[in-house]
Amino acid sequence: MAEPILKVRDLAVGYPTPAGLLQPVKAVSFDIAAREVVGLVGDAGSGKSTTALALLGLARAPGKIMGGTVQFEGRDLLTLSDDEIRAIRGRDIGIIVQNPRAALNPMLKIGRQIGNAYEAHNQGSTAEVRAQAIEMLRMVGINDPERRVESFAHELSGGMAQRALIAMALSSRPKLLIADEPTSGLDVTIQAQFLDQMWQTVQSTGSAILLVTQELGVIANYCDRVLVMHEGRIVEDAPVRQFFAAPQHPYSQDVLRLYREKGSDYPPQVAAGAPVLMQAQGLTKNFPIRHSPKVVHAVDQVALTIRRGEAVGLVGESGSGKTTVGRCLVRLVDPTDGAILFDGADLSRLSSSAMRAYRSRVQIVFQDPFDSVNPRWTIAQILDEPLRLHSPDDPAARRKRAAEVLALVNLPDALLDRRPKGLGAGALQRINIARALILRPDFMVLDEPTSVLAPRARNALIALLARLQAELGISFLFISHDLTTVRFLCQRVAVMYLGQIVEEGTVEQVFASPQHPYSRALLSAHLFPDPTHRRVDHPEAAALQGEIPSPIDLPKGCYLASRGGFANYTCRTTPQMLTQQGGRAVRCHRVVAGEI
Amino acid sequence: MLLKYVLRRMSIGLVQLLGLSITVFFLIRLLPADPVSRLVGMNASKEAYAQAQAQLGLDRPVLTQLLIYLGFQPDVAPGLLQGSLGVSWVTGSQVTAEIAAYLPVTLELVTLSFLFAFAVAVPVGMLSALRPGGRADKGVFLYSLFAGSQPEFWWGLLFVYVFFFKLGWAPAPLGRLSPMTTPPPATTGFILIDTLLAGQPAKFVEAAHHLLLPVLNLAFVLSGPIIKMVRQNMLRALQSDFVLYANSIGLPRKVVARYALRAAMAPSMTLIGILYGFMLSGAVLVETVFSLGGIGQYAVRSVLAFDYPAIQGVVLVITAISLVVYLLLDLIHAAIDPRIAY
Amino acid sequence: MSALPDIEALPALPPKPADWLFRIGLAIVITVTILAVIGPYIGPYDPTLTTVRVAQPPPSLLELPGLLKGWVAGTLEYPPHLMGTDVSGYDIFSRVIAAPRTDLMIALTANFLSLVVGVFLGLIAGYFRNFATELLMRVSDVMQSFPVFISAMVLVTLAGRSTSNIIIALAFVYIPIYIRLTRAEVLSQKSRGFVEAARAMGNSEIAIALRHVLPNSLTPALIQSSVTIGFAILLTAGLSFVGAGVRPPTPEWGLMISTGANTIILGEWWPSVFPGIAISLTVFGFAVLGNALERRYEDG
Repeated sequence: MAEPILKVRDLAVGYPTPAGLLQPVKAVSFDIAAREVVGLVGDAGSGKSTTALALLGLARAPGKIMGGTVQFEGRDLLTLSDDEIRAIRGRDIGIIVQNPRAALNPMLKIGRQIGNAYEAHNQGSTAEVRAQAIEMLRMVGINDPERRVESFAHELSGGMAQRALIAMALSSRPKLLIADEPTSGLDVTIQAQFLDQMWQTVQSTGSAILLVTQELGVIANYCDRVLVMHEGRIVEDAPVRQFFAAPQHPYSQDVLRLYREKGSDYPPQVAAGAPVLMQAQGLTKNFPIRHSPKVVHAVDQVALTIRRGEAVGLVGESGSGKTTVGRCLVRLVDPTDGAILFDGADLSRLSSSAMRAYRSRVQIVFQDPFDSVNPRWTIAQILDEPLRLHSPDDPAARRKRAAEVLALVNLPDALLDRRPKGLGAGALQRINIARALILRPDFMVLDEPTSVLAPRARNALIALLARLQAELGISFLFISHDLTTVRFLCQRVAVMYLGQIVEEGTVEQVFASPQHPYSRALLSAHLFPDPTHRRVDHPEAAALQGEIPSPIDLPKGCYLASRGGFANYTCRTTPQMLTQQGGRAVRCHRVVAGEI
Repeated sequence: MLLKYVLRRMSIGLVQLLGLSITVFFLIRLLPADPVSRLVGMNASKEAYAQAQAQLGLDRPVLTQLLIYLGFQPDVAPGLLQGSLGVSWVTGSQVTAEIAAYLPVTLELVTLSFLFAFAVAVPVGMLSALRPGGRADKGVFLYSLFAGSQPEFWWGLLFVYVFFFKLGWAPAPLGRLSPMTTPPPATTGFILIDTLLAGQPAKFVEAAHHLLLPVLNLAFVLSGPIIKMVRQNMLRALQSDFVLYANSIGLPRKVVARYALRAAMAPSMTLIGILYGFMLSGAVLVETVFSLGGIGQYAVRSVLAFDYPAIQGVVLVITAISLVVYLLLDLIHAAIDPRIAY
Repeated sequence: MSALPDIEALPALPPKPADWLFRIGLAIVITVTILAVIGPYIGPYDPTLTTVRVAQPPPSLLELPGLLKGWVAGTLEYPPHLMGTDVSGYDIFSRVIAAPRTDLMIALTANFLSLVVGVFLGLIAGYFRNFATELLMRVSDVMQSFPVFISAMVLVTLAGRSTSNIIIALAFVYIPIYIRLTRAEVLSQKSRGFVEAARAMGNSEIAIALRHVLPNSLTPALIQSSVTIGFAILLTAGLSFVGAGVRPPTPEWGLMISTGANTIILGEWWPSVFPGIAISLTVFGFAVLGNALERRYEDG
């Protein structure tokens, strides 16, 4: 390996708290060579973002860099004067951060901010600076940059704001780019577009990258080397393929166990004769817009069939309506049109006592575990609430049942008398699942239950859900944007786009040979944690262009027609129907006709 | 866009003022007070009582009184629609004219106090935010908590005792000018401006001297909440993601400071508006201590004399001014922060 | 399973409240509360009766030990006037320690009334949004745009200057604040996941509003309470100061300051200064307490 451009030794960052000094970064040492792409992976709270900032001599208030050295091209950045280090930041070391919209100054036009960044390291007249800003935006693939420089941060989408950040970071051709979870919060297709863009630009500028992420898929597809961070230390430093093939540290092994055990098997299908439990027919939900006769078409004619013991995945990007479908099924939202049949009975015709019984047989688990529990209640009270409403048992028996379900989700019953405060996301999500299980339901809606979890907690939760489903025979509707999770858990999958199901089939059918152009784009954009099929080695053609149409003014024909070269005249003018074909369904006349 | 917003706000404000006028109108008539006997005295004869009642228009049905007040019966007396607030029951002069005489005193006092409090509080709050938790910050914080919770009229008395009685630095708290001095012609009602307009620099100095203690007094209690707000907003701005990001891409200190300053000023506007509105009526205590004769003292006099038209007029005018101040500050806020849409 | 708090998302820590400050605030509030109960009985003089000694200055610090000794030994002609007497001959010390009965009682009751009514209306207005609650908010807007001091003065004077009328007037001007605070919090709480979860479980809307939303929406109003109590004390005193508050000889700090105001320019400082110190410290104590609560809330 050539002489590294960055040498970090014993870097430590501390935060003073009332309880004493917290040290998220204890003693971190690593190197980065020129043009190398290094991934830094770890749980939330492992200190990876703090490390990334500390490389620039910064710490989020009230933190302080406590010690260590950061040698960049032979100079220790931590000993430089304020002016000297400011000259290096942004010129030699670029950075892009998570939550790009918060990182942009909300009160200045984008063009002005990019101009300020440019002027920090270059000279130029006002007109030159502006031209430069437009040029940078064009370089990172923003349409109509002349107009965009006049925008404010809140007028940009997350993906666009992230591009503005990368435009600022790469304009000075830094020797090192620090990317701190640059795609968190972005949809998969946008994430792939963005990472590809970053990869390509860096190939031309010759920068090295430190890519901080929680996503193993990102590591596998874009990085040369992995650093694993755990409890403030680097616990593993290995080339990517070696890391995925033979992780050394117990934490790494934990993170990768799920992928290594399950391998490429799909979950077995339920028996062909299993009875239908939940069925949605022509499910439609519109939300009215205030002061307007128009409506938001959130869900449009969705049909779903879930059999006893079956897990059905519902995938799609934000705004596809998948969450609304889940809410309709548990009757948090009343559908505008269509029928929901549970065990053969139409929900809209249930008496109020039958509706109460339904509430006890069908449960939902939400995305944000912290938000889903009443912060003032103890775990025992939280778990008791459904029992109190639906069970005839006395308090002692109910508490015993609460301890039982805690054990079922692998939590100690010592938690019963604690409050949610201080519990991690993984533990809280288990409590939410325990609460959903406590009435022994037949059917559960899981609405992105893993999306806020760190890799290890996420894997543990997936394993738990798989076990529960096998042991208890509950049916799931598993709503997720994470295809890897769906692939491990579900028998069937439906792909949603703009309120419609565009493709449905067994997981194997859809994942191995997606037919609808949208499914193809989604699958090709998804980053599976497999370093032997790196996205950067196989350029993909299925990517979508442009932005998702507004769900208020929908296009007349196929909703995807404006986003790719596959559409013809019929696509643009004729509404597309979901057509059954060999145990699967697809909403595309060209697929049905065998044209694509 | 801007014009439409201002017009919309003004029309909402007018509706609010109308609601307020009607509420006040009924409220003071619902309360068990007898303004007539207050005027003619407890021992007045039945005839004298009835005569006074008729003279004040209180013998008419309440709804008729309301219509007259609002200006729907201009043949009886001009009302709000005609731009009249009625006639004071005590002095017999137009309430609008009386308010016009008293109001500038308060506006002058409050505005000067605000400017003074700002000049001190903004730099102090900012310096304190630069080193949060430091010794200076703790001291400033303690001061802001203390100053923000003080009885201003008592401090006024203390100031008078120390600076007038003990030290003799300040003039006696007996008005805007010494009782011996002839006031300048009231062109604007703001004495500092009027003395200058009249070309009387000596009187200007005298007026400023008389205003010094009351302004210091009000500025002292105002400085508490203002320092606290500036410090908090500045802290929030300095710890925001975008300031951290601005530092991490190597922007010069000067530019980063500008970013933080602007972000700290924008949310301050709302509180300033509320404080200003609060002080318009809250200044009454300081006016009383220094006998300045402002709108607050006029309100006290009217309330104690059960002078209904004057009470209605004062409440309406002060609220209207507050609403205008809120609107102006919202406009400034929107000019600083583009996220605030009209 | 990660049981660690998310350190990377650690919120910026404000400087910790100096603990001694909080203790001072608490000590002040407790002392004043005790005086509100026993204050009128423990002073050397009846706070509502005059003595023959008019405008007597307080003893100097040098005389004080001797006086106290003599008082305990019972060798004095009359109990000492520790803070002097005013122009009417009232013993200022006895009145200063008796006044919390008036001031604190008014402030606490007015705050309690406005808190209960305001939180209740705020919960309804935030949780059930319909024409009636929108109307309620407009009315609340109008009430809140009243100039506080003048409206309180109008209400008290026209209704009659009694303690209960002062309480009602103060409650009236503070209710809109609590409506607004609670409504805003209810609006943010009612869309939270645990509320949806409670609904999916089959709770009734009333049960959700009372069991889940209300307890989680109380904090801002409770924090506001200590600010409101402080301001209510200032307002009560201010009303007395302009002659629109309680009637003499009720022991009340603002009234006492007002009595001394006329003579302070002649150098008689003691009738106003001592009650002023009492108000100043009391309100400061409540402010400190409120601030400590606020920080605790922000820290989670």
